Amino acid sequence: MPGVDFRIALHRRLADGAATAIVRGGGFAVLAAILGILVFLAAEAAPLLRGARVDPRPALPLSGPPPAAALVDEHRTHAALLLADGRVVAMDLAEGSRREVAALPGPVAGPALAEPRDDLLAAALPGGRVALLRLHFPVRFEDGERVTGVAADAPELFELGPTGPVLALAARLEPDGTAVVVAATAAGGLLRIDRRVEENPFTGERQELRRRSELTLPFSGSVRALALDHRGATLYAGTAEGRLLRWRFDETARPIGEPELHRVGADPVTALLLLLGERSLVAGTASGELSLWFPVRPSEEATALLHRIREFPPLAAAVEHLAPSERDRSFLAVGEDGGSALYYGTSGSRRARLPAGGEEVLAVAYAPKGDGAVLADARALRPFDIDPGHPEATLGTLFRRVWYEGYPAPAHVWQSSSGDDAFEPKLGLVPLIVGTLKGTFYSLLLAVPVGLLAAIYASQFLHERLRSVIKPAVELMASIPSVVLGFLAGLWLARRMAELLPGVLLFAVLAPAGALLAGRLWGSLPRRLTASLPAGSELAVHLGALAVSLAASVALAPAAGELLFGGSFPGFVRKALGIPYEQRNAVVVGVAMGFAVIPILFSVAEDALSNVPRSLAAASLALGATRWQTVTRIVLPSASPGIFSAVMIAVGRAVGETMIVLMAAGNTPLLDWNPFTGFRTLSANIAVEIPEAPAGSTLYRTLFLTALLLFAFTFVVNTAAEAVRHRLRERFARL
Amino acid sequence: MPPRPSRAEARDRAMTALTAAALALTVLLLAGLITLLAVRGLGAFRVRPLDLLELRDGSRLLVEIRDRERIPAGLPGAGHHRIRARTGNRDLTGNDFLWIDESEIVHRSRPRDAALLERLEWGPFLGFAAELRRDGAVLARGPREAFEAARALLPAKRAQWERIRELERGEIGAVNRALERLRLERRALARRALPPEERERRESALAASIAEQQARYRELAGRLDALRAGFERERLLMRTADGREREIPLGHVVRMIRPNALGPVARAGVYLSRLREFLLDEPRESNTEGGIFPALFGTVLMVLIMALAVTPFGVFAAIYLREYSRGGPFVRAIRVAVHNLAGVPSIVFGVFGLGFFVYGVGGVIDRLFFPDALPTPTFGTGGILWASLTLALLTVPVVIVATEEGLDSVPEIARQGSRALGATRFETLVRVILPGASPGILTGLILAMSRAAGEVAPLMVVGMVKLAPALPLDTEYPYLHLERKFMHLGFHIYDVGFQSPNVEAVLPLVYATALLLIGVVLVSNLAAILLRNRLRRRFASPHL
Repeated sequence: MPGVDFRIALHRRLADGAATAIVRGGGFAVLAAILGILVFLAAEAAPLLRGARVDPRPALPLSGPPPAAALVDEHRTHAALLLADGRVVAMDLAEGSRREVAALPGPVAGPALAEPRDDLLAAALPGGRVALLRLHFPVRFEDGERVTGVAADAPELFELGPTGPVLALAARLEPDGTAVVVAATAAGGLLRIDRRVEENPFTGERQELRRRSELTLPFSGSVRALALDHRGATLYAGTAEGRLLRWRFDETARPIGEPELHRVGADPVTALLLLLGERSLVAGTASGELSLWFPVRPSEEATALLHRIREFPPLAAAVEHLAPSERDRSFLAVGEDGGSALYYGTSGSRRARLPAGGEEVLAVAYAPKGDGAVLADARALRPFDIDPGHPEATLGTLFRRVWYEGYPAPAHVWQSSSGDDAFEPKLGLVPLIVGTLKGTFYSLLLAVPVGLLAAIYASQFLHERLRSVIKPAVELMASIPSVVLGFLAGLWLARRMAELLPGVLLFAVLAPAGALLAGRLWGSLPRRLTASLPAGSELAVHLGALAVSLAASVALAPAAGELLFGGSFPGFVRKALGIPYEQRNAVVVGVAMGFAVIPILFSVAEDALSNVPRSLAAASLALGATRWQTVTRIVLPSASPGIFSAVMIAVGRAVGETMIVLMAAGNTPLLDWNPFTGFRTLSANIAVEIPEAPAGSTLYRTLFLTALLLFAFTFVVNTAAEAVRHRLRERFARL
Repeated sequence: MPPRPSRAEARDRAMTALTAAALALTVLLLAGLITLLAVRGLGAFRVRPLDLLELRDGSRLLVEIRDRERIPAGLPGAGHHRIRARTGNRDLTGNDFLWIDESEIVHRSRPRDAALLERLEWGPFLGFAAELRRDGAVLARGPREAFEAARALLPAKRAQWERIRELERGEIGAVNRALERLRLERRALARRALPPEERERRESALAASIAEQQARYRELAGRLDALRAGFERERLLMRTADGREREIPLGHVVRMIRPNALGPVARAGVYLSRLREFLLDEPRESNTEGGIFPALFGTVLMVLIMALAVTPFGVFAAIYLREYSRGGPFVRAIRVAVHNLAGVPSIVFGVFGLGFFVYGVGGVIDRLFFPDALPTPTFGTGGILWASLTLALLTVPVVIVATEEGLDSVPEIARQGSRALGATRFETLVRVILPGASPGILTGLILAMSRAAGEVAPLMVVGMVKLAPALPLDTEYPYLHLERKFMHLGFHIYDVGFQSPNVEAVLPLVYATALLLIGVVLVSNLAAILLRNRLRRRFASPHL
């Protein structure tokens, strides 16, 4: 067309281009949002599954007498080394400089040990003496900088008497002056010295009480390793014959009965260590095997006996040293060949290996905060930085049964916190997953039949005009905030459940019966009459019947309750069924969640059912099928994918619902399917726990993992539902 | 006599009846729920009569009767009825409610002089007025006279109370905030490298302003003390049914009525006054009494901020899907994403919001812009902005779906016509498509807002508090405080209903709050549905 200018003004083109870019950006942003959520949740949860990280720092050279034991302060500024000549030196870990802080009254002549829980160094000296030395790491601030010092009390001496060489040594020293020293001698027995300091409350005079006692082994063997718990109430001994002994002592340090005797293996027990909490014992043998033991009560009344709980991946050579963490149940194990590794007691896993130095390790210390360690050999002190990661959460502890201290058997447990320092977080997700499934199951038990049947009626039998009112009304029900439903369930329904339940059960019988009767009545009316009544009369009749059965149920409920349950339903459940009854339980949640789920289910299923072409149903009816036959043989099979997707969407909603379960389910993480007990779901667990979880902590990341699980689950369910629905839509498009 | 139905027909009738019953049950459940909420919620403000009970053991109690039920099996007196009575007077007896076995009651009456005092502290007081005193001198004596005299003084006392509160919140609050700001400035100064004389100059300037503010504070505190002294001058001596006496400062009384002496009009007046207090006043006594205004305000403000965030995001995405994309795997991926976003549990959004917005973005903002306040977080903690953004993410699918529906309703012919007349795509969009689609967009927005108003789980994680000290919107620069914590109706229900020590006493208030929340949500949903229906009808004409 000559003369017509088809060019578009620049500013219009620019505006158009800019708009296109922005709109594209909007589309992209939605995709980015969902991917971003997924990636972010995964990235926050991922560090859980990584092991510990160990980074060696430059080795600091040592000269002179070799070290025999080592301690590290909380901020890892110094290592205190007990040297073979009895001197104690503080070594600056940053600069490598050293200074003497104390000296024992003689060289080390036998085993030496470091007890980080008491900041204690101890060693056997010549002449049957044992020296205990408590260290201090005072912290002060200079110009806003933290400066840690090293100081020592005067060494304390304990006379064992003429015993010959000491083979193994254990010692504890409490802040109040209580001390326990146990030594294994070449003669084959054990010597125990208890020291108590009593202060006269009036004069302030201090009096020392010492008590020396001998323990004999129940067989002729030689003790290679010893471990003592807090105040020496329990003593563990490992022998060259591969035996493990456990003595318990009363207040006055006298043994209670005979020692327990256990067999660790054929090889000698070379090292013993009590982990944080001092209930779990790690035993290392000459072949490098490591096993964990703790007392287990076989039944309520019986005394607890030591039990072999689990094995750790072994070291390559005999276990020489074991050092505990003061933060969690981690420990460091060092072999005779200098190879060493970091373990976590509860999961039984090896978290990391430390690079070997090639020399025999003489002393080892694990930093109090668990963030570092030092290994000392004759020529160098090797410090390590350790990032312990999240040892409490491994795939094993998250999803499998774990045998925790104090439990009679392995169990799935979720218990994330407690007031106790030595408490160990138990992060088993199985109770939460089971709780989620339980809540979903009991919700769908009510919602699926009611929602689907209602959808069938609304789509097939209900008059068009009435349907256009009822459908939005039911959908409106979906918008009721779940916090309102949860509130009503938790504070109204839960309290009345016990008295309502006979009535509800009665209603469950009377309502269908009433409905059948009403249907019979309606069907027996002459066609001419029913056809001339206004639309919805049938539904009105049923509403009436329902109201009558409801009234009857309410009226008869007390009598029924008396007759069936002896007046008190909870009492009946507890006595006759033998299961517990809690006020906030799965039935309450099921009913409340029904309100949230029925509308969704109804809406999606009704859409699917009414999208089945009318011609199909008309043909079936014309061939003489009844309405119900048409529904079951023609409409339902055609719409089945849509109904499947309705159920899937309902499942997704029930799984993720938070407020209702938070308010009405009691939130105890239990592992049962009893309809009358509470439960805790993944989503409610997040709401309960995340305010208490510091960012980046193990609990925080575990909660992110559960959020990721929820996300993944609903993603799968919704995608499946959508795919099925899509196929259905295509199928009907062809009809 | 009709013919006996065949088996198929019998089954047809039975099953149809069952389906009808299911639908009827659904409708019944919905109606029952709303009725329960309405009755309990609206009943919360009702004036209840006071009953004077004489018990068999000789004790006398003045109570509001709340409930009556059969004593359950297993408890003493099973088979009888018992009543749940509100006794009030928590400061005297330690509890608010009592169960009383009806067979224990010898005599009931409703004395006209029985008075109910709603107080700032300790909950209501039920008893008889005895004396009104000012500075110890008796102004009026006798149940009726003292009551009436006190009631005449009450408006003045309430006005004094308002003045005290204004002073505390307004001027003294401003001084406190100024002092806090100066403290932060001083910290910032300490960290900056400055020549010594410059540093000295600034430091002395700061010290001078601090001294000035402190002087102002002392002056205001003096005024406050004077006001308080006047406020506590009048005291009402109340006597309980069993003869114990208590002196109540008249300033602490919020409302005083003699329920048994009120006529219907006066009752309605009290009802309205209580309703007004509920909607427009602040909560008292850790949320168990007073109003819910901050929660209502917080909810509305949060939803509005969320709407600002979600509208462009959702509308652009829908326009892209419907108008700009040409299909293909990318568009399919977006559709899957939208669909899944709608199904992701809300708590997951909360977790994401906490990790990403609060600790991630908020942490960065704090380090960049508010380093002086650290380690106290400013944006690195839950607040109204993060809550709004989290909910915006949650409601995007709602807006997208509704907008797409709106766009679909604009006939293809209109687009083609516009393009054929030489309009660019953008011009077609703005002049032709968007006007036609605007009801759809509006519908989506309303639905998104009502969803956001009712959603609580994600908010528990990203910025909710039981009691916010200040509204997020006020007269102080910059007026809208996006970092502030806020109160929310839904969370209020959870918190008051489940965390408060005295559940019985707060239940009516929680019912009222739930009714309000459900009312807001249902009304906005209804509006959206009506709008959608109008939209459908408008474009349903077949010739387009």
